[in-house]
Amino acid sequence: MSWWKSLLPKRASDAQMNSELRFHIEELTEANIAAGMPPEEARRRAVLEFGGHEQLKEELRDVYRVRILDATVANLKSALRFIRKSPTFSATVILTLALAIGANSAVFSAIDAILLKPLSFPQSDQLMRLQQRHPKLSNPNAFVAPVRLEEWNRLNSTFQALTGYYTEDVSETSGALPEKFSESFVAPRFLQVWGVAPALGRDFTFEESRFGGPQAVIISDRFWRRRFAADPNAVGKKLRVGNFSPAIVGIMPASFLFPERDVDLWSPVPLDAPYAQKRESTWFTVIGRLKPGVPIDQARANLATVQDQLAQQFPKTDGDLSVAIEQLKETTIASSRRSLWLLFGSVSLLLLIACTNIVALLLARATQRQHEISVRFSMGAPRGALIAQLLTETFLLALFGALVGLLLANAASGIFRSLAARLPRVEEIHLDARIVLYSLACSVVVTLLCGLFPAIRGTRRNLSGSLNQTSRTQVSGRNPLQWLLVGIQVALAVTLLSGAGLLLRSFQELGRVSPGFDPSHILTFQISLSWGETADLKKLRQKTDRILEALRATPGVEAAAISVGVPGVPFKYQTELKLLEGRAESEPKLLADSHLVSASYFATMKIPMQEGALCRETDGPLAVVVNRSFANAYFTNSPAIGHHLDGSNLGYSGPAEIVGISGDAREAGLDQPPSPTVYWCAPIAEPGTYFLVRTRNAPMTMAETIRQQIYEIDPQRSVYDFAPLEQHFSDALAEGRLRTILLTFFAATALSLACIGLYGTLSYSVNVRQREVGLRLALGALRGQIIRQFLWQGLAVCIVGCVAGWALATASGRLLAGLLYGVSPTDIPTLASVVLLVLAVAAIASLIPATRAARVEPMQVLRNE
Amino acid sequence: MPIEKSDLLQGTLDMLILKIVALGPVHGYGISLRIRQISKEVLQVQQGSLYPALHRLEKRGWLEAEWGASEKGRQAKFYKLSAKGRKQLESEESNWNRLAAAVANIMQTAQ
Repeated sequence: MSWWKSLLPKRASDAQMNSELRFHIEELTEANIAAGMPPEEARRRAVLEFGGHEQLKEELRDVYRVRILDATVANLKSALRFIRKSPTFSATVILTLALAIGANSAVFSAIDAILLKPLSFPQSDQLMRLQQRHPKLSNPNAFVAPVRLEEWNRLNSTFQALTGYYTEDVSETSGALPEKFSESFVAPRFLQVWGVAPALGRDFTFEESRFGGPQAVIISDRFWRRRFAADPNAVGKKLRVGNFSPAIVGIMPASFLFPERDVDLWSPVPLDAPYAQKRESTWFTVIGRLKPGVPIDQARANLATVQDQLAQQFPKTDGDLSVAIEQLKETTIASSRRSLWLLFGSVSLLLLIACTNIVALLLARATQRQHEISVRFSMGAPRGALIAQLLTETFLLALFGALVGLLLANAASGIFRSLAARLPRVEEIHLDARIVLYSLACSVVVTLLCGLFPAIRGTRRNLSGSLNQTSRTQVSGRNPLQWLLVGIQVALAVTLLSGAGLLLRSFQELGRVSPGFDPSHILTFQISLSWGETADLKKLRQKTDRILEALRATPGVEAAAISVGVPGVPFKYQTELKLLEGRAESEPKLLADSHLVSASYFATMKIPMQEGALCRETDGPLAVVVNRSFANAYFTNSPAIGHHLDGSNLGYSGPAEIVGISGDAREAGLDQPPSPTVYWCAPIAEPGTYFLVRTRNAPMTMAETIRQQIYEIDPQRSVYDFAPLEQHFSDALAEGRLRTILLTFFAATALSLACIGLYGTLSYSVNVRQREVGLRLALGALRGQIIRQFLWQGLAVCIVGCVAGWALATASGRLLAGLLYGVSPTDIPTLASVVLLVLAVAAIASLIPATRAARVEPMQVLRNE
Repeated sequence: MPIEKSDLLQGTLDMLILKIVALGPVHGYGISLRIRQISKEVLQVQQGSLYPALHRLEKRGWLEAEWGASEKGRQAKFYKLSAKGRKQLESEESNWNRLAAAVANIMQTAQ
């Protein structure tokens, strides 16, 4: 293969041209002299015969001039003509590509915005999330005590600054009605760490972050526009949040995308307050900004040293603690990475299928154009030029495809945002220059993938060697290459369908799961509460009790309870517990999820008590209920009831007696098997506590009544986040559902593409072999035989494709393993039904051309001969 | 009557050049001379066609060029056939023969 050499320019220098031409003239002159002319006359005649010297040189230069621009324009023109001349073919290719590139660009826009782009803060790669880790706690939200945050900030040498925040829902009452907002309480150096200044107003002052100092709040751009209609004079006005009246000192720019996207208010929390001095408290999500150029490992080592120092100083509280440092971006997006790459993998497969399809179309096309290509060859066109022309045609088609695809992607990104509202950074998904570039790159790759092979094959010399139309009388329409392509498409489609099928089966399995409680007719909501109230637990308990009593008294309500976290929604709070009675070293550690609930929880959720009694809500000694898994896992020899747990890990003082054993419930998510769980009966409503109400009728119909009821007891509080419990399940599964919907959509598209490919190839084969069919029918073949033969030709390829696809799906099943529930990645029934589906659809796609083949009129065909 | 280039089938000149060059390294003047001699003065190739064709064939890799001394000791550019050119010549020759035979056939049969 050296056709490419002809693409490389070779050059003859001007001097060489001159001397070559001069030689010719001199030889002519000599010949003339030899013929008897006088020298002067001989030379004159020679020059005359030779013609315009300069003009000839110009023509020679033309031979070498690489006229890229001219050639490209000419190629584009002829490509446009080609597209216009064959609108059906072009539309098919463009639409196929539009779908494939559009889907690809849409998923890429999500990947780009969520995974690839840095967070939207200045030098965001310097931003780190710091956590305190305790070897006995597996709580992912390892919040940091305020004093420790200050010590870390003071003692480290690798961070520019550390800050922290915690968020709670507040009731803002300066408007007409109490309104619920999310407010973040922030440690000093907050804006310094983010590297963002308020768009209007100023940062907090030192006094404002002191205990007893003036109260200040910075508000979000969103809040400012809604509440103050973007009035610049809003700075200085006062809000009314709970019992405080902070003055607005600043307004953040709209581009400030705080990790907790609901937050509208930021207020300083005084770290010198007496209640902030406990080393055991867990308050802050800590964010730090590294010094420029400091690698993360150095920061880790540095903080480890700092924490060692603290451990020596405070062995009781800090002895076991270590510091975990992670890129902030990493902690934000880690959960969605797998889903997104899975989707990207599947749209790439889709693009591959589309390309294969187009290769088949182009190959068929090239056969039809053989004559045109032969003519061009005999006119002296170099092969490189022909390949360039064919590639230009493909490129133009790909480009149109990409443009339509971009429009689709733009529409799809809206769908993405509404389907996946829970994805991190989803609001940052936009169609921008990078996506356009990506689509263009896609079309170039597509051009090379789809165009190169047919172009090289279509311009082979032996194909174009003759102008005569031997193909007209050729009987064979077997083109193994096109059938190979169909097989590949089927295999890839089977792979995608298997993935989609497995995800669908998981969803089905999830629907069948019995959660261990009755989620129907449960209304959940929250009430604005503050951490400050938890200072007086006794009073808070009375308040909580009063609310629960009022709820129970409401007509239409059967039961009411509270729970930190919603049952059935992922919320892990696993701790190691100790038995006062002691345990042998050989026995497993007592690891259990802790749930803080009111005693009425079991009745409300209809979780059966299997042994013992309900826990008591008294000020006396604590009593807890454990679930069946806990009892079975840790108390094989002795009854669990009667043992005492040490709850000091959780901030409870004193031993807690196990008084009852409840049935297992899937508290941590429907897709999580029940784990050992301890229910601490603490009727204390903290921020984040959910109220659960069992209603007689449809849950949401009770919302207004309940809001009214609570307003009567405590007009200061806002009630919000009303939702049926089943809605929470559905939200918790939103990402999985998005994944499933998209993958199913891609797989369906892949299957239709593969069928179009099969149909097209078989139709082509039928067309080419019409003569043969006609002949055979004339000789007495039955139409049924013809149909069977073509049907089998299509199906045989599909069967091979399915086998390959099965193998591919099994091999790639491991990618899905963590995303499945209740089915194995190589689930035979799923794979088998996918194969059956594909074969059924393939049979339909083959049947149409096959019956058409059998309808051939023998006389018609033979007459055409 | 001599046949000028414009009457020559496009591509035929290339084939003629390749055929001449196949006999051995030769310069442009020699090629034009031989075409005239062998065709018994029927074909006369203009320099304006010959040299662009030569350079085109060289660029395409069918001819290789080398500077050397002519019989009279002048510096001249000699062309010779490359391996690729030889293949090309073979295929063009067989095409030509088939075409010529077909045309001759028609002319004879239709008489």
